Amino acid sequence: MTALSIQDGLSAQLMQRMTDADPEIRRIALMDLADSEDEDLIVPLLIEALQDVDANVRAEAAAALEGYESEAVVTALIGVLTDSDPQVGANAALSLGELKDASLGGVLLNALDASSGYAKAAIFRALKELKVAGSLEPALAAIADADADVRQAAVGVLGYLKDPRALASLSKVATQDADSEVRRIAVGALGFAPALAVVFPALADAMNDESWQVREEAVMTLGKLRAENAVPQLIAAMQDSYWQVRIKAARSLGRLRSRAALPALCEALVHPVSNLRKEAAVALGEVGDPAALPALEKALEDPDPDVRKLAKLAMTQIAR
Amino acid sequence: MNTIEMEVDVLVIGGGTAGPMAAAKAKEKNPALRVLVMEKANVKRSGAISMGMDGLNNAVIPGHATPEQYVKEITVANDGIVNQKTVMKYATSSFDMIQELDSWGVKFEKDETGDYAVKKVHHIGTYVLPMPEGHNMKKVLYRQLKKRRVEITNRLMATRLLLDEGGAIAGAMAVDSRTADFYVIRSKTVILATGAAGRLGMPSSGYLFGTYENPTNAGDGYSLAYHAGAELSGIECFQINPLIKDYNGPSCAYVTGPFGGYTANANGDRFIECDYWSGQMMMEFYKELEGGNGPVFLKMDHLAEETISTIEEILHTNERPSRGRFHEGRGLDYRTGMVEMHISEIGLCSGHSGSGVWVNEHAETTVPGLYAAGDLACVPHNYMLGAFVYGKLAGESAAEYCASHALPPVDNAQVEAERKRVWGPLDVVDGLPPGQVEYKLRRMVNDYLQPPKVTRKMEIGLQRFAEIEEDLSRMSATNPHELMRAMEIHAIRDCAEMAAQASLYRKESRWGLYHYRVDYPEKNDADWFVHVQVKKDANGNMSCFTRPIEPYIVALDEEEKTAYQKLRIVKEPAAA
Amino acid sequence: MTYALNRVTVPVTVDEEKCIAAKGCTVCVDVCPLDILAIDLAKGTAYMKFDECWYCMPCEKDCPTGAVHVDIPYLLR
Repeated sequence: MTALSIQDGLSAQLMQRMTDADPEIRRIALMDLADSEDEDLIVPLLIEALQDVDANVRAEAAAALEGYESEAVVTALIGVLTDSDPQVGANAALSLGELKDASLGGVLLNALDASSGYAKAAIFRALKELKVAGSLEPALAAIADADADVRQAAVGVLGYLKDPRALASLSKVATQDADSEVRRIAVGALGFAPALAVVFPALADAMNDESWQVREEAVMTLGKLRAENAVPQLIAAMQDSYWQVRIKAARSLGRLRSRAALPALCEALVHPVSNLRKEAAVALGEVGDPAALPALEKALEDPDPDVRKLAKLAMTQIAR
Repeated sequence: MNTIEMEVDVLVIGGGTAGPMAAAKAKEKNPALRVLVMEKANVKRSGAISMGMDGLNNAVIPGHATPEQYVKEITVANDGIVNQKTVMKYATSSFDMIQELDSWGVKFEKDETGDYAVKKVHHIGTYVLPMPEGHNMKKVLYRQLKKRRVEITNRLMATRLLLDEGGAIAGAMAVDSRTADFYVIRSKTVILATGAAGRLGMPSSGYLFGTYENPTNAGDGYSLAYHAGAELSGIECFQINPLIKDYNGPSCAYVTGPFGGYTANANGDRFIECDYWSGQMMMEFYKELEGGNGPVFLKMDHLAEETISTIEEILHTNERPSRGRFHEGRGLDYRTGMVEMHISEIGLCSGHSGSGVWVNEHAETTVPGLYAAGDLACVPHNYMLGAFVYGKLAGESAAEYCASHALPPVDNAQVEAERKRVWGPLDVVDGLPPGQVEYKLRRMVNDYLQPPKVTRKMEIGLQRFAEIEEDLSRMSATNPHELMRAMEIHAIRDCAEMAAQASLYRKESRWGLYHYRVDYPEKNDADWFVHVQVKKDANGNMSCFTRPIEPYIVALDEEEKTAYQKLRIVKEPAAA
Repeated sequence: MTYALNRVTVPVTVDEEKCIAAKGCTVCVDVCPLDILAIDLAKGTAYMKFDECWYCMPCEKDCPTGAVHVDIPYLLR
């Protein structure tokens, strides 16, 4: 083997096991290798092992490369994303996903064009954390990809990038993508919008999405954006068929201190699910309107101690 | 069996959570230092977070909570008995620590724009930051140790610390649980990061190793600190946790809470009035458990299918992943049934309550050159993030100490005496099996120390613990593994005695169930608004004394002190 | 002193067909926090030697060949 002569720092015995005819012995040797100290010695051997004839050895090497950040490592890992054995690709994707060094973004970006499907999604997932400006264009292009997994990953990149130039496309994805998880991620990504107007129509639309998790995300995003003009929609969301969505609507209405929401919030104080009653009490405290006092007074009799406490806390807030 | 000598500058005992951080930070402060992490198991998978962690429950993140709010919350939760400076140090350092861990590759939950997805659970602040992919924690820490070239020894159990003539740290002695080799490690500083005393009480299953804490955490550090003359504090503030009955692991109400799950009684109703995980909460839990509406359950059957799948994914891959297997064996599905809960055996742990080795805001103990961090260092309710913060402080403080101190000489008398004690069980023929001694000791702990605490019972307990002390030298070990267990029993017995002595000393009730003394049922601030310390005195006897509470740096007005009580509106039962 | 031999079922079982301890693998033994696993040198496979399992599962998760299985100890099941 090529590397043998330069491995002075590693024991001859380990080196021998690395090249043993038995793939299981090679695999165990790899695990031992990954434990030794010297990065300069380990990494070339691990990269070499990515080309082993045995899939288990390749998978082990792909996993062991996690945490090593260099161009050579990234290139090698990208190379095995499409390995004939899915475990090798999965481990390589996980290791790429751990990258922290933004200067390696270029290597990932260069590999995008030639990749598709699983590999492309994995590269986007690695790019997401790195937040490199160059990923804007390819991610925008990939939101039209036929593969929903690629679209999810690309939309994820755009959310983390927080580049306003992506907002128009994200709005479109949020309302039109065929995959509900892609829509949900896009709706959440709209939360970085510097001004509400651009994203409001899409979010309002998303509040009628068929998936409750998309609706929930939309309601939360409106709260995060402090969307004053979304109050009518948020009040409507207090009637959502999922109480989970109503809870987030109550939270957002509380953040907005919406007096108009008073009737809807008071109504929620008697909903059968106590989690919603709790949130309604909190929101009423934040709104701070004395008109809520009679309803809160009644909530002091609630069978749930959390609701009673929060109602009392809300009443104190209103009195201030 | 050999005696092996080593020399380092910083010796970190314990490679779980705080330990690796301490070692990394000592090395960062001065890369020339020789830093050794000594671990009883294997650093790759050791400590309370061997399988990762599913969330931070005390994150102080700007925009969500302030350090002042956090200090107030912990002061109230710990019934006023806190050194606020230590809590403040945590609170002001915790966000930097989250960001540093993030940069190391620890995965915290973020929303779709990459902002931290902090969940609201408490009334004053907002502290839960989930880690749905928190299972890579140990891998991340291990990578940092390797990167910084920190030395590691696995399977070594520290048994006593070495002191110089003036009582300052001179190193530690240890035994190898595979070979029984005896180690004398000279060092300028020692950082204790050995975790909770988790093998103190016996789980109600009677299975010695089915503890709430990782049973490797037998309380070694508490014993090491005690015999080195360090002050321990709040030992009477036991750790008792709510958990899944029989499985005896955390049900993680704080994981399920943000999703809408909650602790309920047999009727499926919430009953806990208290807001913070505290002794008061455990008292309410205990009463409901024993009352007519008991037992207690974790309720999730009202949640949506998608939510339950997410919860299963988190709970069954992190911290205690065998939870899923346990429920499966009983045929329990979160969708259709509630999880029966119980309370844990007692333990000592500052991460959850407030019982530990006394430290200041620099992680310094009262012994020069000795530092402590994590579950065994007395900073109340510090949890995992607190272990990281105090690990960092300990590492940095130790590095500084090294700069101005030479390596002290070894006192051969200490070495001889300890080697004799440690190797003793190997020479005893046909002695008591350590497993039986441990079973008896821990059953006595349950019989005499489990709250509600009764004076006379605890006095009898002390007698029993004294008798068992006589038994220690009659134990025999047939192999190095058994020898390790035998030495752990020495530590467990020390912890039991400290727990009894400190509990007897504080003649009032405080911290809800943690220190509920039936014969002193009321809280008495006039006499007992103080820390209770335990220390080995000049004659080698266990002594208790008080330490005044440092003036608060974040004042609480009367309203705030009783905020929780005032919020409680206990419903009167309807007249029959 | 005299001793009794007690029979106990162990929660950690190892599939001897899959275990590659004979080839130098010690992963499960290495990661066990309680150090209760050992290699049977005659058979060349890993086994649970001490009845002190915390059912924490690193042995099962980290085993490279999926040979290790952790059950909940009978007393708790």
